Amino acid sequence: MKVILSLGLIRGLLWQLLGTALGIGFFTLVRALLGLPSWEAEPAIVVGALFGALFFLLGVGVLNDWLKWAAGEPTEDHVDDSHLGWRRYFGPSLDHKVIGVQYLVLSLVLMSVGGLFALLFRTELAQVQMQFLSLDQYNTLMSLHGMVMIISILMGIAAFMNYLVPLLIGAHDMAFPRLNAFSFWIAVPSAIILLSSLALGGFDTGWTGYPPLSVRAPIGIQMFLLGVSLSGFSSILGGLNIIATIVRMRARSMTPFRMPIFVWSSLATSIISLTATQLIGLSFQMVMLQRLFGMSFFDATKGGNPILFQHLFWFYSHPAVYIFVLPGLGIISELLPVFVRKPLFGYRWIAMSSLGIALVGFLVWGHHMFTSGMAEYLRVPFMYSTLLVAVPTGIKFFSWLATAWQGKISFETPMLFILAGIVVFLLGGLSGPPHAVVSTNLHLHDSYFVVGHFHNAMYGGFVFPFFAAIFYWYPKITGKRLSETLGKIQFWLMAPSFVIMSLLMMRIGLLGMRRRIADYEPAFGFEPYHLIMTIMAFLTALGVVVFFINVIYTQLKGQPVTGNVWNSRSPEWQVPSPMPVHNYERELIVVGEPYDYGSPGSRYVKFVGEA
Amino acid sequence: MAHTSKSKAFRLGLLVFIALVVLTVVEFFLAVYLNVWLLLVIVALCKAGLVIYYYMHVYRLFQADTTLDRNSYAYKLATNRLGLWLFLVSDSFVFGGLMVARINLLGLTHPHLEQTVGLIVTSVLLVSSFFMNRAETAIAHGKRNQFVASTAITLILGIAFLVGVIGVEWRIAPFGPADGAHGAVFYSMTGFHAFHVFTGIIFLAIVLRNGLRGCYSSERHWGVEACAVYWHFVDVVWIFYYPALYLIGTVIE
Ligand code: HEM
Ligand SMILES: [Cu+2]
Repeated sequence: MKVILSLGLIRGLLWQLLGTALGIGFFTLVRALLGLPSWEAEPAIVVGALFGALFFLLGVGVLNDWLKWAAGEPTEDHVDDSHLGWRRYFGPSLDHKVIGVQYLVLSLVLMSVGGLFALLFRTELAQVQMQFLSLDQYNTLMSLHGMVMIISILMGIAAFMNYLVPLLIGAHDMAFPRLNAFSFWIAVPSAIILLSSLALGGFDTGWTGYPPLSVRAPIGIQMFLLGVSLSGFSSILGGLNIIATIVRMRARSMTPFRMPIFVWSSLATSIISLTATQLIGLSFQMVMLQRLFGMSFFDATKGGNPILFQHLFWFYSHPAVYIFVLPGLGIISELLPVFVRKPLFGYRWIAMSSLGIALVGFLVWGHHMFTSGMAEYLRVPFMYSTLLVAVPTGIKFFSWLATAWQGKISFETPMLFILAGIVVFLLGGLSGPPHAVVSTNLHLHDSYFVVGHFHNAMYGGFVFPFFAAIFYWYPKITGKRLSETLGKIQFWLMAPSFVIMSLLMMRIGLLGMRRRIADYEPAFGFEPYHLIMTIMAFLTALGVVVFFINVIYTQLKGQPVTGNVWNSRSPEWQVPSPMPVHNYERELIVVGEPYDYGSPGSRYVKFVGEA
Repeated sequence: MAHTSKSKAFRLGLLVFIALVVLTVVEFFLAVYLNVWLLLVIVALCKAGLVIYYYMHVYRLFQADTTLDRNSYAYKLATNRLGLWLFLVSDSFVFGGLMVARINLLGLTHPHLEQTVGLIVTSVLLVSSFFMNRAETAIAHGKRNQFVASTAITLILGIAFLVGVIGVEWRIAPFGPADGAHGAVFYSMTGFHAFHVFTGIIFLAIVLRNGLRGCYSSERHWGVEACAVYWHFVDVVWIFYYPALYLIGTVIE
């Protein structure tokens, strides 16, 4: 019992419960004192949720050091909490490696929850007419699936950026370790708030939360809006930390063009999340204000403008799709040379293309609004700017092809996932331009073709590279190697079934299947397709189950590995696994190019004092 | 030598303040007699530029010495500066988003507000920025008493600003938050800004208390510097919000 209560997470959850109750009570009391009718559910619950999040943070203890600073007391700088063993993963550790693993676990938990939602409504879709979900339940599950998965992706990329960036640049930690812990822990109560919308009547807006629908939805929408706004801080502050770390903590001899590619893509990602994220927060808060105080930002009958919401929302949410994929594309570029034993082709181009995608990505948001009634003259500029993104994206593909060309490819599990990532991202990328061209967009918008497009983009740009990265760095993190057999089973369960599912999505989309719809007209003949897609979805999910079995099996039975498992040139593999508590004992010196695989005797880094 | 650099720094702060006052007066009369929005934007940009350069010392970001020992105070100070500025860049996207909403919904009109109140709160914030700068200059030159006094004055002026906006303007405004787009825009812009002023006041109170207990020295006063940069940032936001809410365009009834 005492051990359990000493875990930050448990304390945080209890405090959150307490804080929520206090918040609701406090708000009701204030209203009563002001002589207003004392009970009004919606504002009371919002205040309660806010208090809950704050109390969670107090309960976990991530605010302690800042409170001490405010009180003018000194704090310890390099806290070594490794004596806590497994318990440090449940508390406010400042070690970037621990925080990386915390993010990873949170990401996998959210991915499982979001995946479960998808299986539920996917099963409902397998047959025409409604079988076991109500229309409201369908809408809630579909909307939550989208947002939970997005947050899961944000946590997943944060996991690898946190774990890897300091290691790849030879730093002992992030620039701001306390802020780093805060960024992780704020995401936990946010996720809980987001999921609590299930208990409060759900919502039926899709992940985009457009008004006027979101203004009329049940109270559950408030938890959605608030949960997303709060978890935005995780992204923003995480991005801030990564940028500062890359700029200030790099090994002295690591010039910008000798940084590993993953560091470049993390930088590009972080620039987007630092800035654009504020606008999804703002647009959601404006809807909250409209609901709570009647402020008519988006109410056309009172001088507001619903299109304004879409502009603010997509100003984040388009660049956000690059937040999702840039780190994954970085992982592809990082691992491909290792498994083909050849230098990465066009290093500088790859590095710059990440920044290029990030910057052009800021100028294209209107392509989501071609049918929305946005000013007509904006359509063509947005069409061309969107097509422009294909240029830096294409650069990456050419580089991957040229890197793999005539290489000695070895097909271990990470490499399989990398290859699947490339193929699937290509499908996602190729299905983008038909959306970008106004004339075809008018036909495709709001159809299942869009659903197929972005699932391809996200599986290729995030999910498959993410699993590749887990398989690749697992020995570094834990000192054990995941089973290759189970890994391959997982791969063959996930990749083909996903491709089939997404191609069918695009096909029925072209034939007229609308997205975000619980039922469909039998006469279209979509039923067999939907049945196959549902089966494929279950196979994909089974792959994920195999992954979890693999993790458990490896932790129980796996043989320790300490060496350079993949024969990599990267600095983190030049020291024993699992990574020592303070990373590198001696300073790292860059002595060569990062990806000169295949040239015998050449090295990327050595350590001070090493021959 | 030390003496001249000291008085120079204080004099520069004063000169910048005078320039800001002049520009504010120019801005007000431009609005009354000409009301060309572009001119108002240019004046606001000039004011913001002055504050960002002379009060927030943005150039310090580019003076970071990378050869220093990584564990030295100076190296960490430069890292902290970068972190704070990144935060402000991020925060300005919130204010920018609200400004976009204002431009989209109100165009060349502004809500019906009490001009004297607007001018008074704007001046109060401007004066508070002057004292904030004085406080930082004072601690940088080891003048503890002057630092404490200036910080206290900044704090009081900050509270006065909040009282002016929330206590007076919100009460006397002839419309509420639910009254049309101008209500929504006015209360959200001033509300978000006031929330930042409020956090700045808490920051100032912490700095004042720690300053009284002697936590800062002329070499080590990152807390004061951070507070000052944040406070000036809040002022810069108001430099844009004031004309956007009070001056640009014609009044909507
Ligand atoms: C070559 C690159 C790409 C192009 C040209 C492109 C273009 C488009 C366009 C025009 C739409 C709007 C379709 C509509 O609703 O009418 C769209 C939707 C979408 N795209 Fe892409 N895209 C590209 C890459 C990506 C990537 C890399 C991702 C994600 C990781 C992505 C994720 C999405 C999502 C999530 C939506 C749907 C948003 C919604 O309405 O819910 N796209 N894409
Ligand atoms: Cu887009």
